[in-house]
Amino acid sequence: MTARAQTTSPSNTKLALRAALVITPEFCATRITKGSWATIKETFEVGKIACAELAPTLERLFFSVTPVTAVTLSGDAQVVLIPRFVDVAANTTMGAFSDREMDVFLEWTVKDPSGKTVWIETVQGSSKHHMGNLFTHGKNLKLIVKDSVQDAAEQSASKMASSTELRKLTQ
Amino acid sequence: MPISGIFLFLNFCPKDGASVRSRDLARILRTFVALSLVLPVYAASTFPDYPVGQANEYAVSAQTAGLTIGVEAIEDLNEQKNYFHTELAPKGFVPVFVVIQNGSTEDSFLFDKTKVASGPADASVSTPKEGSKAGESLAVAAIPFVGLFFALKLVSNASEVQQNFLMKEMQSTTLSPGASAHGFLYVPIPKNAPRQKIHLRFPITRAGAGEPFVLDLVF
Repeated sequence: MTARAQTTSPSNTKLALRAALVITPEFCATRITKGSWATIKETFEVGKIACAELAPTLERLFFSVTPVTAVTLSGDAQVVLIPRFVDVAANTTMGAFSDREMDVFLEWTVKDPSGKTVWIETVQGSSKHHMGNLFTHGKNLKLIVKDSVQDAAEQSASKMASSTELRKLTQ
Repeated sequence: MPISGIFLFLNFCPKDGASVRSRDLARILRTFVALSLVLPVYAASTFPDYPVGQANEYAVSAQTAGLTIGVEAIEDLNEQKNYFHTELAPKGFVPVFVVIQNGSTEDSFLFDKTKVASGPADASVSTPKEGSKAGESLAVAAIPFVGLFFALKLVSNASEVQQNFLMKEMQSTTLSPGASAHGFLYVPIPKNAPRQKIHLRFPITRAGAGEPFVLDLVF
């Protein structure tokens, strides 16, 4: 079962800006480990999902989105979008078929062509899935990571769409 | 014994005429198998939200260019247990509640959490000159992200406790005209000594501007 926060679709609030999305190899390789030998040690491979989901989601908002691997490669982009994972948190639940919740915190820094920061924001993506038992936990873990990162991408687009600071750049 | 073997044993264990010991063993084995299929879990916990006030109503506050920051250190151990289910002071940290309000009608301000610094109140600080980089002269350390506490095993492994810390943490944000933001910073303090005055430095940048200005708070 998947639960996602409702978000405002950005399709009607496009930003007429050419954007460069900086997704470095280090960002794509981001893996966050939580837990210990006494509980459950889990590794959340958030970077891999983000690198697949961010560009297509943001393309629905901006005039164009060009993924680049470094800020210096942003070319003639009007805004440079720089994501960074802050942290993740996921609870554990009673029973293999109880829902657990995962939260992903993604920080965005948006710079103009001169390098000045015009917007900074931390976005939270969430999702719920079954905890799973010894046989299904691994699959459920992948699902909850995928859905929470996808939600973070959607929330990112929504916050950027409603940002007065970014809209000012289109004027 | 493989799990399949256990299941076969349980399903084909004769009931009629079986000894009491065999039946007890079957029950124990069924319970063991059921528990082995369930991952370790913790009871759900609830964490109350810390009440939010106006930034200028806090005992420690500072204001510049229409932006106001108010802070409150949560030093009472009972309060720490109430909001975090953990006593932070024995672990060398104090949670500081921060409220930032943008009272300007035209300017947006950028709060970058990674730039906030803390240090002893008697650290020598020179007035930032116009055009100089604010914060260079303050001999302090950046406030660690709460994730560092978990990595250093300073906070309970209970996932709900960790999740609460993260949900309550102050994050980077843009304050549009009239907007406000709030959250906690987890400031290092000496573990077994009285706390000295703490100096918090908040570099704030106008959106699209170059150099930040700073707001200093001592408490």
